[in-house]
Order: sequence, then C-alpha cells, then structure tokens
Amino acid sequence: MVILRYIGSRLLFLVPQIVGIVLVGFILIKAVPGDPATLMLGPMASTDSIARLRTDLGLDQPLPVQFLIYLQKLAHGDFGTSWQTTQPVLSDLRTRFPATLELVTYGMLLALLIGIPLGVLSAVRKRGAIGKIGGMYGLVAGALPDFWLALVLVFVFYSELHWLASPIGRIDISVIPPDTITGFYTIDSLLTGNWDALGSSVQHLLLPVVTLGLINAGPILKMTQSTMDRMLQADFSQYERLCGLPPQLIMRHAFRNALPSIITIVSVLYGFLIGGAVLVEIVFSWGGAGQYAVQGVLNSDFNPVLGFVIFSALFSLVVYFLVDLAYLAIDPRIRH
Amino acid sequence: MPLPLQNRFNAELKSAVWSLILERTGYGLRYFVQFLRVYPGYAAGYIIVLTVALVAAVAPLIAPYSPVNADASVYLQPPALSHVLGTDSTGMDVFSRVIFAPRIDLAIAVIGTLVSSIVGSSIGAWVGYFQATTGIRSFLSSTIMRAADVLQAFPVFVFAIALVAVFGQSINSLVLAIAFVNIPIYLRLMRSQVLRIRDMRYVEAAYILGVPDWVIIGRHIIPNSIAPVLAQLSVNIGWSILLTAGLSFVGAGVRAPTPEWGSMIAMGFPNVMTGQWWPSVFPGLALAITVFGFALIGASIEFLADPRRRRTLASGKPPLPTQA
Repeated sequence: MVILRYIGSRLLFLVPQIVGIVLVGFILIKAVPGDPATLMLGPMASTDSIARLRTDLGLDQPLPVQFLIYLQKLAHGDFGTSWQTTQPVLSDLRTRFPATLELVTYGMLLALLIGIPLGVLSAVRKRGAIGKIGGMYGLVAGALPDFWLALVLVFVFYSELHWLASPIGRIDISVIPPDTITGFYTIDSLLTGNWDALGSSVQHLLLPVVTLGLINAGPILKMTQSTMDRMLQADFSQYERLCGLPPQLIMRHAFRNALPSIITIVSVLYGFLIGGAVLVEIVFSWGGAGQYAVQGVLNSDFNPVLGFVIFSALFSLVVYFLVDLAYLAIDPRIRH
Repeated sequence: MPLPLQNRFNAELKSAVWSLILERTGYGLRYFVQFLRVYPGYAAGYIIVLTVALVAAVAPLIAPYSPVNADASVYLQPPALSHVLGTDSTGMDVFSRVIFAPRIDLAIAVIGTLVSSIVGSSIGAWVGYFQATTGIRSFLSSTIMRAADVLQAFPVFVFAIALVAVFGQSINSLVLAIAFVNIPIYLRLMRSQVLRIRDMRYVEAAYILGVPDWVIIGRHIIPNSIAPVLAQLSVNIGWSILLTAGLSFVGAGVRAPTPEWGSMIAMGFPNVMTGQWWPSVFPGLALAITVFGFALIGASIEFLADPRRRRTLASGKPPLPTQA
C-alpha cells in the first residue's frame, strides 16, 4: 500500500515537470531566428506558397495557441514531422532512440565493470598503489574529451592495426540488420539467430562502448571510492572490526551501505548520457537520437529537437523512478 | 576634548588590525606553499594552468607561423623540425594553432563560468534565504527551484546548441550559453549552503537588530558560504572548456580558421581515418592537459577546504600539513 501511494505521488509530480520541459523547449525553439516555412520550401519558393505552408503549420497563430496545439498533438502521440527526413518524428525516434540506448547501456555496463571494483579496491587500499591509481583515474577520465578519445581509438584500432571494420554506423553496409524486436541490434540478432548481424554489430559497438565506458567509469569510481571510504570508517564498520569479523564480511556490509550513493550517480549518468553521448555518436556516425537532435538544431529542423528532449526527459524520469524503487528494496528504513 | 587620545587609539587599532591581517595572510600563504610541497601532485595543477595561460598570452611571440594562414604547399606534413607538430589538411601549422587556441577556449570558459557563478549564486542565496518562509518571496523562491529542475532535466549539450542557435553563432553567444547551462549548478550549491547558515545565531542576531534582508545576505550569508562555490568554479571551468570544444567540434561553436581546439579536432577527423593523426591528436592532448590542470586545482581546493584535514587548533590556526 505504502509503495502504491509512493508511486502515485511520484507520478503526480511527473506531469507538471513534463509540461514544463515541453514549454521551455518550445519557447527556446520559437526564439531561434529563421522561418521554418521558408527553410522547408527553399529560397526559390513564392511568397504565396510560403504563406500557405505557414497556415498549414499553424505558424500564423499566436504563440500560446501554437503551444496548446502542440500539446494537443503530443497527447495523441503526434510529434510533428521532420523536414530533413520527411518522416514523422515519432517513427524516426523509434528507430534512433534504441540505437542510442544500446550504445549508452553497454557503455554504462563497461563503466560499472571498471568503476565499482576499482573504486572498492582503492577505498580498501587507500594508501597503496591502487588507491593512488584510483584517485588519478577519476581526474584523468574527467579531463579527456570523449570525442577525441574516440578518434584516437579509431586511429589505433582501425587506421593502424586494422583490427576492426570501418567505424561507421551500427552495422556493416553489406550486412542486413536483424528484424526489429527490441531495437537493440545485438539482442535482436541473438533472438533471430542472425549471427552475421550479431558479429558485425558487436564489432561496431566495440570502440564507442569502450570510449563511453572508460570515461564514465571516472565518476562512478570516485563516488564508489569516497562512499566506501566513509562507510569503512563508520561506527558500524569499526565495531565489526573490534568484534573480529573477517575483512571480507566487513567490506560486504560497507558496500551494501554504499550502494544507494552508487546507484544515484549511475542513474544520473545514465540519464545524462542519452544526450551526452552525442559527440561519440557523431564520431561513429551512429545515427542515434542525440545525433538526430543535433542535426535538427543545426538545420533549423525543430520537431526532432523537441521530440528528442521529451524522449530523453521521460527516460531520465523513468530511470529516477526505478532508482527510487531500488532504494526501497535496498534500504529497509525508507519503507517505514 | 580628548581628540588626540582618540586619534591615537584609532591609529593603534588600525595598525593592530593591519598586522593581524598581514599575519593571517602570511600564514595562509605559508600554509599554501607548504601544502604544495607536501602534495606536489596538486602543484602540477597550478603549474599546468599557469603555463597554459602564459603560453596563450605570449603566443604571438613564440608561434613560428601565423595560426590562420594556410600554406597549401605543405599540407598534411608529419611533425618535423620545420613544423614541430606537423601541418593540417589546409597547410596551417598545428603548433601555432594549438598555442593560439587557449586564447579563445580559456576566455569563453572562464568568462562564462564566472558569469554563471555570480548570477547563479546570487539567485541561490536569495532563494535559500527566503525558502520556506511566508508570502510572495517564498512562493517565488520555490518557483525558481522548480524552474531549475526543469532546466536540469534538459540534455545539456542539445540545450547549449539550441541556445547558441537562439543567440546567433558568435563567441558572445557561446559565453552566454555556457553561463546559462551552468547557472542551476551554482543556484543549488549556494542554496544548500545558505539554508544551513540562515539559522546561525549571528544571522538571527542581525535580523533582530533590524538589519535589512539584502544587507544580511550580502554581508553575512554570502561571505560565509562562498568556499564550495570557489571549489566548484575550477572544476566547472575545465568542464566548460570541454563543452566549448564539443560545440565547436559539431560546428555550433567557434568556426575555422579561428584557432580553437575543438574545431581543430573536427578538421583533422577525416585525416585520422586515413592515418594522419597529428592535426587532431595534438589539439586534443592540449585540451585534455588543460582540463586536467583545472580539475587538479579544484581537487586541491576541495582538499584544503575539508575540515577533517586541518583541524583547528586552540590558536585558531590550522596545523601546517605534514607528509601523509
């Protein structure tokens, strides 16, 4: 019951927040100079046809009315049309968002695999070599531009060593992508038994995932290290030590108490990366949602931008929501 | 009238205050120097940033070539004696461009971050001071916090590009965009500080004495809550340099041929695919080292501000750091 009420109150907060996000995005986009109708029809169009298109798009209405029209369409799942791809934004995002999500999810997993063990170890051996390396790693990873690291990796593993296929797109042009089930090429090709597609997509994922993993392991490591350090010095750990419990057990208990902070930083990073991986997407011509939005801004094609902003905000909110549920599972104190 | 006596008293008070200030400053400096000697790793941060700033300042004197003139006869030369870091695909000297670039990158990031810290922490101080009180100002301060929530829910990079598009592509717009996306960080930081300090006795005392709100905020609250903001500043400048470079990398920031690290990396991108790494790798390296320097300085401020590291003695002075 408590949990249901909790979920209900969270959802209640969601609606005004999303409307706020749409509103800010809308104002921002309307503030950009340039008339979409002129851009869509090109410089040769007659004033008549431009005026007709402006009426069709609702651009001759006052701004508040335009916003209400947009909200109304949104409520019916209509995100408008992108004039670059001439497709509805929703169907564009349906193929592009999973592309970004696949990249970011594997990148996050790698970051966790690097960040958490190294963070725990460097908290346990604070004065030793591992502790020093751990402290250094966070600083270096935070200073590396991800798009540059991606380029260096491309140079080493593609241009010089020729270990990987051309680092463009999600899959070789010669390989037919798997049927869409989840939108993740790796999972879809596994499900359909399409081994060619699996091999090719894993090969294309490798470099961008390593880039994102290496860089985002930094904050995870830092958070793990500092929280673990605090927990290992906390009274309960001291007491366990006094009682002569084995170090392994003390570490496990400290880790469990450090878990909420680690989950928080992971969720923040995960939400951030949906838009934050865009530079890596561009380097690898990934065709993801972030790249779609950036292309949109650069070419005054705004429906994709708003669509992307709404999608990624929704995604962040869902992640935060799941995190709150995870807290409930980890920390019995919250349930009371 | 005991005027001469009062004058003497004033003069003595003045000199006493001055000597106290000097003693404290001298002690602070000694403490800082000793800190850098004990932890030379942190000194590297200050050295890096000072070097970058100095090189940028004297770039016109030490650059062997013009940073914007292309010499098509020497395009894509690998690093050699004539061109230390090679030349790019248009024949511009990579070294000259790399040392000119921080003039743009540092200026944008430093000014943008300073503006956002001033604006953000002023709003944050105001919001914190009036939050959970009563009346219109309390309502306004919670509204501002909700607005900050919404702004932070935006994907930063797309938000920044959109802002640059709104203001028109120029260096001023980049500064504005960077200032804008960073404001919520300082707003939150300052607010949480102020919420803590607001309930201190000296603030209550000032309030009871009838000191106006804006004087309390300006004279008592802001000076006592500024330390974490300063620590954040350095880290944030590094991050803003990365953002500036990223914006230029996608073509929404500084445009070639103006020397800027991000756009240089973008220009060299096609060459990296075919094996000419130097036009992209060197600017990226310079970028990473600079950001690393700012991150180190931020870490050192955090370290110095950590009360566990410098327990106050009876004299009110922190002990000089010793080898850990």
